[in-house]
Amino acid sequence: MALRDLLKGFSATGWFTPKACRPLPLIFSQFREVLKANNQALELIADMGEKLSGEYLFDLRYVEATVEEMIAAMRRALTAINILTQNQCVALHEVFTPMEARVRAILNKRDDREGPPLLWLTEVETRHWPLVGGKAAHLSELLHNPKVRVPEGFVITTRLFHDLLDLNGLRPEFDRFELLLSEHLPDEEGLEALRRILQEKVLRAEPPSGFLDTLTEAITRLAASSEPPLFLAVRSSAQEEDMDFSFAGQFHSELQVPPQAEAVYRAYLLVAASLFGAKAIRYRRQVFPEGSPMSIAACCQRMIRAQASGIIYSIDPMEPGSQSMVAVGALGQGQAVVEGQVPTDFFRLSKGEPPQVIERVIAAKHEALRSTGTADGGLTMRAVPNGQSGVPCLDEQTLLELAGVAIHLETFFKRPQDIEWTLDPQGALYILQSRPLLITESEKGKPKLSEKLEGYELIAVDAGRVAQQGIGAGPAFWVETLADLKDFPEGAVLISHRDSSQFVQVMHRAAAIVTEVGTPASHMATLCRELRVPCLVGVPDIMVKVVPGEEITVDAEDRRIYRGRVVELLTYQATTTMDLHMAPEFRMLRRILREVSRLNLVDPLMQEFRPEGCRTFHDVLRFIHETAVLHLVELGRDDRCLPGGLARRLDLPIQAGILAIDIGGGIAPDAPRDQIPFSAIRSIPFRAILQGMMFPGAWHQEAMSVSFRDMMHSMMTTPQDTLSGQYTGHNIAIISETYVNLCFRFGYHFNIIDAFCHDVERDNHIYFRFLGGATDIAKRSRRATLIATILEAFDFSIQTKGDLVIARTSNLSQSEMERTLDILGRLIGFTRQLDVQMTDDQAVARYAEAFLMGDYGIVAG
Amino acid sequence: MSETNMRLLVVDDEPIVGKRLKQVFGKIGFEIETYTDSAAALAAIAEKPFDIVVTDLKMEGIDGIEVLKRVRAMNPKTRVIIITGYASPDTAELAQQEGVFAFLAKPFRLDELKQVIYRAMEADRAKE
Repeated sequence: MALRDLLKGFSATGWFTPKACRPLPLIFSQFREVLKANNQALELIADMGEKLSGEYLFDLRYVEATVEEMIAAMRRALTAINILTQNQCVALHEVFTPMEARVRAILNKRDDREGPPLLWLTEVETRHWPLVGGKAAHLSELLHNPKVRVPEGFVITTRLFHDLLDLNGLRPEFDRFELLLSEHLPDEEGLEALRRILQEKVLRAEPPSGFLDTLTEAITRLAASSEPPLFLAVRSSAQEEDMDFSFAGQFHSELQVPPQAEAVYRAYLLVAASLFGAKAIRYRRQVFPEGSPMSIAACCQRMIRAQASGIIYSIDPMEPGSQSMVAVGALGQGQAVVEGQVPTDFFRLSKGEPPQVIERVIAAKHEALRSTGTADGGLTMRAVPNGQSGVPCLDEQTLLELAGVAIHLETFFKRPQDIEWTLDPQGALYILQSRPLLITESEKGKPKLSEKLEGYELIAVDAGRVAQQGIGAGPAFWVETLADLKDFPEGAVLISHRDSSQFVQVMHRAAAIVTEVGTPASHMATLCRELRVPCLVGVPDIMVKVVPGEEITVDAEDRRIYRGRVVELLTYQATTTMDLHMAPEFRMLRRILREVSRLNLVDPLMQEFRPEGCRTFHDVLRFIHETAVLHLVELGRDDRCLPGGLARRLDLPIQAGILAIDIGGGIAPDAPRDQIPFSAIRSIPFRAILQGMMFPGAWHQEAMSVSFRDMMHSMMTTPQDTLSGQYTGHNIAIISETYVNLCFRFGYHFNIIDAFCHDVERDNHIYFRFLGGATDIAKRSRRATLIATILEAFDFSIQTKGDLVIARTSNLSQSEMERTLDILGRLIGFTRQLDVQMTDDQAVARYAEAFLMGDYGIVAG
Repeated sequence: MSETNMRLLVVDDEPIVGKRLKQVFGKIGFEIETYTDSAAALAAIAEKPFDIVVTDLKMEGIDGIEVLKRVRAMNPKTRVIIITGYASPDTAELAQQEGVFAFLAKPFRLDELKQVIYRAMEADRAKE
């Protein structure tokens, strides 16, 4: 039926009651418009996300065209939600406009030019990554990681680099230089001449006015939070440096810089000019043969007074198959170690849990790189006092602590890591840098990988679908309820029946994720790609085939799961140099998706769930969807907006007293006008709920014996006590073929279920709210806890407050939706009068267990 | 015939394509060579025939259709798969006439290409 016809029918029966009420079918059709626009945008985001999973080949043209389509869909979604909510969401436009501008800046390759010239490491968000460069981006991530200590500091961003080019008239030369670099066979002499000019001119560049003051302020702030004397380390952080490839030692670093703005600025110029160093340019042409403009930022951190410093590799690059890691270190500052100026101690550790030292070679360390001790800063080689040169630079305990950090960082970044560490005089371990460790293994004379894999037992072949490519191994860990996440061990493989965006809590610790149901387009899959967690979804019966705790290897490239730890595959992963991520189209798509696909508003029940809390396109869409759902939830709440004449009674075997209002396809056309039988209900979600309510034993007909105290309580309740006041009105179900909004007013409690359900998973949602009861607040709250406990077991996200329970779930397949709604139907019947029996806290656990075991009879007993 | 002795050649002027396919097919046991220059690819084919050739359509110099023609002329048993972001019905028809085994539009899933290649291997096996 067309909307117009429906509206005609509704208005004829006095539908337009109080003036604030809009016709239900109109609101519902506006809701569907929101879903439609949201979906188009989400599908495009998911499509781009899938391209990033590594499973696809695509080109730059694809990226540009898809971004344009996506922005148009976002605009349609914003319009639609404002129509539905009658302009209650205009603030979203203001939130979205700068997001769109940032995405366009990426498309136009200008995203490293827009933003502040100076940013504190603690303030760096993913959208700042192009501005702060790879090293600073990684450090800022680590700054929020409680297992790692990072020296505080700030970043002079690429914005300043571009300002210097413009202000000092270097732009034309810079552009010519980049153009030459991108040519297949450039004029080598011209290139060399330009390189020199740029290098020299950058060294003499004047700062923008006011920048030295900004620097002075930043240095003063840093001094306030550190122990004197303060010196700074100014290190290069080139765009995407360290992201996927090394750039190790290609750019300049200036250490022990005195805390004055001029000195820090000079150090920054040395770093910036090194972008045009002969060595750096050679390296760049190797890794980016297609050319790609680069800019440079500098990370300015408090210098740690180093007792000892060095490097740890989370895997031995010489023997990647050996499952051991190696560390080297010397006394004093680490620059002497990375530049090979001093002999170093060598340690080899096993990668077990816990790690163990298996080899120790202690060098005679006669010299150490230390501060000159003058106010001008600088470092110098000093003799090590007699008797100390043979002492290991790290004691056993610190070495094991360092090894633990290395294992953690490898799991955190999902790649073997090359980590620079330093130890302060108090024995505190600091991480100065963590970047992917590149390993190359000689293929010559070795059997092919496919032959080496033949000896391993396969648990699953052609398993499910790839949500994120990669290879991960570890002990299998079952996540059956969200509470299990609390115990998730470092480096385990997460196994679950269905996916959940809540898994994000442990993704940094997970080696891989495998679920029995789910799609590569889910929120969880997006998060897996964001955090590069190898992930297979839709692998049937994996929970039957694998024993919890046993070691497995997940190959989310060829969709295979092996029993045991397949060292050859892990080695293959470590030695494959991820060329893919360096291609220009991948880098652009990755940057765009960072602005677009990350979901920060994971839980609609969080405080940040406001327009201002939205940081990505996905956040905006999630906010729009939830707002639209909440708008619908309120539909049946105000009785005055419901047309009495259209409500039809149901004829059910249980006395639920429900009136149904059909707004399109919810009831069979040939059903009787009144007393509608169950068989005539066409609404998918409503049918499922009724099925649950009618499940044998779930609905208790007989009244509970209410104690005298409870009776008194309900009689004494005044209307002011809104939480337990009597709810008047009918039990109303507003239904369509794909939708139900069911409001129960069971005397003293109020219960809403709002659900949308059809074959597009991401449209589907369930919203459940339960409030009140006839008994005292303690019993009512216990019932609320009981409901929350049960719903949590079914993966709902829950909020409780006193006797109020709000639960939500979404993104379920139609069959999962129907199963869950059926359970909700049983739960409504089961808990209807149960507050009376909630005499103590143990009752909560007892009844929850009974319900989960299907023992509904416990209520009657 | 198994993957282990299959010879696969990839030519695409976008370096990412060759690098990526080398990873994917090398891992499962193919003997694979990749080129960004179609003339160099044809020279390699002339030296020793390949079972399967995957070629881009739009390339500077010798384009994908020309690669297809020359490969088929040199060795009719070689299966040629064309991958392209600019598929028009005309070129698709032209490719069909020249005996292309399959035509794949970018972006595509690597798994799709894998399936096409397996199909090509099976077609060969059926003939033997």
